[in-house]
Amino acid sequence: MSRNLKIKAALLVAFAIASTVAMGFVLSAQQDGLSLESYRSDIEQEREALPGLLESAASETEQNTSTFDEIYRSKAETLRFMALHETGFEVTDAKMQEYRELLGVDNVLVVNRAGEILAQAQETPADFSYERYNQLRAVIGTDSASQAMEVTFAEAGRTLRYYAAPLPGDAMAVIEQDPVELDELVAETGSLASVLRTISVGQNGYVVAVSARDYLIQYHPDERLTGTDALVAGVDVTALEDGNHTWVTLDGERLYCGVSKIGDTYYLLAVPESDMAQSRNITVGVILFAFFSVLMTVILYGLFVMRDEEKRGFDPKNYRSLGPLRYNKAVGRKAIVLSFVGFLGVMLVTFYMQTLFSLSAESVSSSQRANDIAGTIQRTNEQADALTEQYDERYLSKAEAAAYILERDAGVQTKEGLQELADVLQVQYLYVFDGEGALQTTNSSYTNFALSDDPESQSYEFRQLLQGVEHVIQEPQPDDVSGELRQYIGVTLHDAEGNADGFVQLGIRSERLTNLLASVEIGRILDGVKVGANGFAFAVNRNDNTFAYYPQEQMEGRGVAEYGMAETQVKAGFNDYLAIDGTTYYASSVETGDYYVYIAQPADELMSERVPITLTTGISGLVCQIVVFFLLTLEPRRPRSVRARAGEAAGEDGEDGEAARMIDVTMPDGRVKKTESAVSRWLSTSMQWHEKSAEQRIGTVVKAIVAVFAIAVCLAVLFQDQIFGSDSVFAYILGGGWERGLNVFAVTACVMIACVVLTLTMIVRELLRMLSGVFGARGETMCRLVSSFIKYASIIGMLYYCLMVIGIDTTTLLASAGILSIAVSFGAKELVSDILSGLFIIFEGEFRVGDIIKVGSSTGTVMEIGVRTTKINDGSGNVIVLRNSDVSNVVNMTKDYSFATCEVGIEYAESLERVENILETEFPNIRRRLPAIQDGPFYKGIVALADNSVNIRIVAKCHESDRGQLERDLRREMKLIFDEYDISIPFPQVVVNQPREFREATLAEQLRAEQFNAEQKEAAKNVGNEDLPRQH
Amino acid sequence: MALAAAMLVAAGLLCLAGCGGQDAGQKEGGSASANANANANGTGTLRVGVRADVVGFGYFNERANNYYGLEIDLARELASRLGYADVEFVTVEPDTRKDMLLAGEVDCLVACYSITDTRTENFDFSPAYYHDRAVIMVENSSLITDVSDLENKTVGIMSGSNTGPLLAIKLQELGMISEIVENADEGTQYDGLYVKQVPSYAELSRELEEGTVDAAAMDGNITQTYIDEDRSILDLNIADQEYGVATQKGSALSQPVADAIQSMLDDGTIAALTEKWN
Repeated sequence: MSRNLKIKAALLVAFAIASTVAMGFVLSAQQDGLSLESYRSDIEQEREALPGLLESAASETEQNTSTFDEIYRSKAETLRFMALHETGFEVTDAKMQEYRELLGVDNVLVVNRAGEILAQAQETPADFSYERYNQLRAVIGTDSASQAMEVTFAEAGRTLRYYAAPLPGDAMAVIEQDPVELDELVAETGSLASVLRTISVGQNGYVVAVSARDYLIQYHPDERLTGTDALVAGVDVTALEDGNHTWVTLDGERLYCGVSKIGDTYYLLAVPESDMAQSRNITVGVILFAFFSVLMTVILYGLFVMRDEEKRGFDPKNYRSLGPLRYNKAVGRKAIVLSFVGFLGVMLVTFYMQTLFSLSAESVSSSQRANDIAGTIQRTNEQADALTEQYDERYLSKAEAAAYILERDAGVQTKEGLQELADVLQVQYLYVFDGEGALQTTNSSYTNFALSDDPESQSYEFRQLLQGVEHVIQEPQPDDVSGELRQYIGVTLHDAEGNADGFVQLGIRSERLTNLLASVEIGRILDGVKVGANGFAFAVNRNDNTFAYYPQEQMEGRGVAEYGMAETQVKAGFNDYLAIDGTTYYASSVETGDYYVYIAQPADELMSERVPITLTTGISGLVCQIVVFFLLTLEPRRPRSVRARAGEAAGEDGEDGEAARMIDVTMPDGRVKKTESAVSRWLSTSMQWHEKSAEQRIGTVVKAIVAVFAIAVCLAVLFQDQIFGSDSVFAYILGGGWERGLNVFAVTACVMIACVVLTLTMIVRELLRMLSGVFGARGETMCRLVSSFIKYASIIGMLYYCLMVIGIDTTTLLASAGILSIAVSFGAKELVSDILSGLFIIFEGEFRVGDIIKVGSSTGTVMEIGVRTTKINDGSGNVIVLRNSDVSNVVNMTKDYSFATCEVGIEYAESLERVENILETEFPNIRRRLPAIQDGPFYKGIVALADNSVNIRIVAKCHESDRGQLERDLRREMKLIFDEYDISIPFPQVVVNQPREFREATLAEQLRAEQFNAEQKEAAKNVGNEDLPRQH
Repeated sequence: MALAAAMLVAAGLLCLAGCGGQDAGQKEGGSASANANANANGTGTLRVGVRADVVGFGYFNERANNYYGLEIDLARELASRLGYADVEFVTVEPDTRKDMLLAGEVDCLVACYSITDTRTENFDFSPAYYHDRAVIMVENSSLITDVSDLENKTVGIMSGSNTGPLLAIKLQELGMISEIVENADEGTQYDGLYVKQVPSYAELSRELEEGTVDAAAMDGNITQTYIDEDRSILDLNIADQEYGVATQKGSALSQPVADAIQSMLDDGTIAALTEKWN
């Protein structure tokens, strides 16, 4: 390689590396920028929503607390009611224990104004004489219960809530209750964690709450971190400013955060960098690989061509002068094609990778989101069940208290008395039934009622109370008239002997329960769900395929088919595009209870990143290609002496390095190209690098690049868990959770599988090749056979698998192929066998375009290998069209040299020695006259001692394409030489005689002849009749 | 919560013991003034007495084994302005800080230490870097809404803090009390008020919760740590508190410290730090 070329090569490679690195930075930055932008808008959205969520949680907590407090206050008031009525109220510890059981509370006490405990169900840690309890003591002398107060006893490790109601005299009833139920409820519905864990930012982002006071982490999805110091965990205190968007490190994880300060808490809406980095690294990596490969391919190709040129010597035809520079046309022409194709390839790869990653990331996050929602639904349902049970218990306790009072003080059994009791118990209606099931007293206006005998009726259930059942809690049912949810609970009343005698029934219209049950409805749960900028959730009813929830209310209850959803799209685990009402969404679904919940995001939004990145890659790729192009094709004009030397050097090179296995062929359009000789193609030893043409070298380079890519992908597939983690996009693609069909995932999976199979096949075949070197000829045969078998088996297996992945049902395909073959055997058999033969010609590489082949009697240059036919030019401009199935017994005559043969006969009389002497002197002259002769002519000796001549053979080495003409020329030369030296060539001679006149027969002679004939026939009738079978 | 805080204090005390031991060894090598001389070379360690239980001012985090807060940042800045290479933080309690500084166990105090006349007799103070007021915190359920409701009640204070004397002065001004009936380590009985000494703020908060004290008097910044929705602060300013950096009387450090704090006040460093930790 000349010095100039080396400099050029170094320059080009340096440029390729530099531009790849630069491109890497630009792409990463852009991808980051775009992801950040989308994350930022996501974060902003969540930020805006956050105060509302916190507020509603706070109001939820407030509501829960006040409901809880109301219940216990009502219990305190019940005590007061009992003290005021004739129910046997006593200030004794035993009575207090009775009340504790009746009311279902932790402790019941009676305390006087000074704070002394007069009676208690059990010991209390509280000292009511402290000022702390002023709030309770303030009720003494009034007629209503106190507000709740809560005290934490650090030493006892308990937190207790207190409710007081005034008693007659200078005392009060105190109810002491551990608010564990309330705490649980608050933790479940109103706590920070309950709000924040439902928020997801970006794909895997989350919210972290950090106290602005002491920087302790108040909420983190990782429970380990909750309660630790955010500053210790790595958060920079300066990052904690309201409205900040910044990078924060938390527990070693880099997060992109939007900071929101609400009250005394910083909320960090965080997206992990790994989210961003993962997709970015793979996307940018693959794009850069493609970019660099294309660049290097163009560069190397240019260099190979130039090196060849250097070897052959300077050819001014290939250059055009441009000022001080000259343009290398030979390189330019080819480089521009490669560059352009490569450029398109890189664009395609970029677009593809972007699509792949935004879609798969979307799928992963949507599925996660859908599963989260399913979890929420389940949790809400469980919570509703638990709460309903809690409510039932509470109301039952109220009913029991009512029964307790009514059994003891009959005086309450008036409309007014019941109204008072209902107020104390905080229920709407109280009904007292007698032993016959007839309504006796009630505070409602509906007085004339008896239990129904109809089992279908709502009141029938309460008949059990007359038959020994202690209580009945009916499910809440919509009221017949108003449609409101109303619940009835009944408890048996006993007479003085303890026998059942009627029952008391509570009628409740609990708004809380109604609200709660409503909140379990699918619509309520899906209503607030937001995905990205315009994404949303909707639900489809499994039973009738109607929309159970959709943001557009009018669509609810309508069939999905009405809005363009296909039947196949209504299922769990769906992950693909779907169109609803003309808009295309990317959606993922999950099954929950009676519904399929879908997370949908408008398709156009998903892809917004794709275009700018592709454009950047395209433009910068184009610029790089142009620079490389000019670097390759332009060079300074060199001084003459250097050129001459280059030529000399090339000449020497050419001697030993000339491609023995490479020959020129003429393409149908007249261009001359290099091709590998037929024998060389089936040699298993690879060609020496220096024997290869520039095209073959670049082919090798491209093969190597593809191999590197395939091996990389193969390794990534095999070690996916170690490299990517189990919830990565990569795992998603390999996991096959996507829809079967012609989509980007299926294509990617096919590419991956192909890479794995190719890599493995390559390794096995390489091993076999190495083995074949060890064994003898038999081993070689076996190895070649196995190798070929592996090749076909892997290709067929791969095709089969890919078809399956793309969603073509291969079993039906095979079955239908059977049916097809019957059809084929009738009519289209020939066509199919032509097509198959064509495929095999190409697969096996029997011949290529430009080869000279002989099929049967036809010989010529291959012009085209079609699907059904192969076209051959026979050299005289005739195109022979052969059906591929007829292409058998092919002789591929694409070899470096052929031989022109010429046989001449000499008379037996001639002296052979003389002739041989003459040939010796004349051969050099023949060679001079016939430039088509590559070597020879050679005298091959005597072919035959024929009937009339001694035949000698002359051969000359030539190109196959010249052979016919050269043979004719050789014969001419031989004839001329023989004439010159008077050597006679024997030939069959014909003697020609002078014609003469014939006389006509006389009439008599004619007659005699007739007679003679007849006589002869008669005489030889049975003689010499070979034509006829013998009679005997 | 109260329990955790108590443990924290215990840990702080442990550390105190350890640090004290170290100091004792170090004292033989050189005193505070010797350290002050060393600062010319940009070496030496400034030993700063700081609080370990006041979030936002001086707070020791066990997990991280480190201090956080306005005063911590301030002490670091101070050390760097004075030319020290390093800062060593020593936890001090209101009870002990005075003695520790006098004994030279620390070079200076940046420990919510307010500038008062009595203290200026014993120590040199830098200009004030933080302005606060002492206040009274009560439980809402005690129905105490005004200082007059505190008549014959118990007010808790952190032992060793100057809130006690200030409260007595203020209440005397208001005419609620006039003389000391009995003075003991656990508390002071005035005519009309008992002021109880509680060893830590966490303890004080706990006593307030359980009702053993009816009100708690402390500096405003400290109430921030303990206030919740069930507690309120009475509308009474016991006294303005001005926090300054204290050094030994006549120490070579006094003037440089005062100058450094003044420069920090002038160039907005302190305002920025206050803002940061607010």
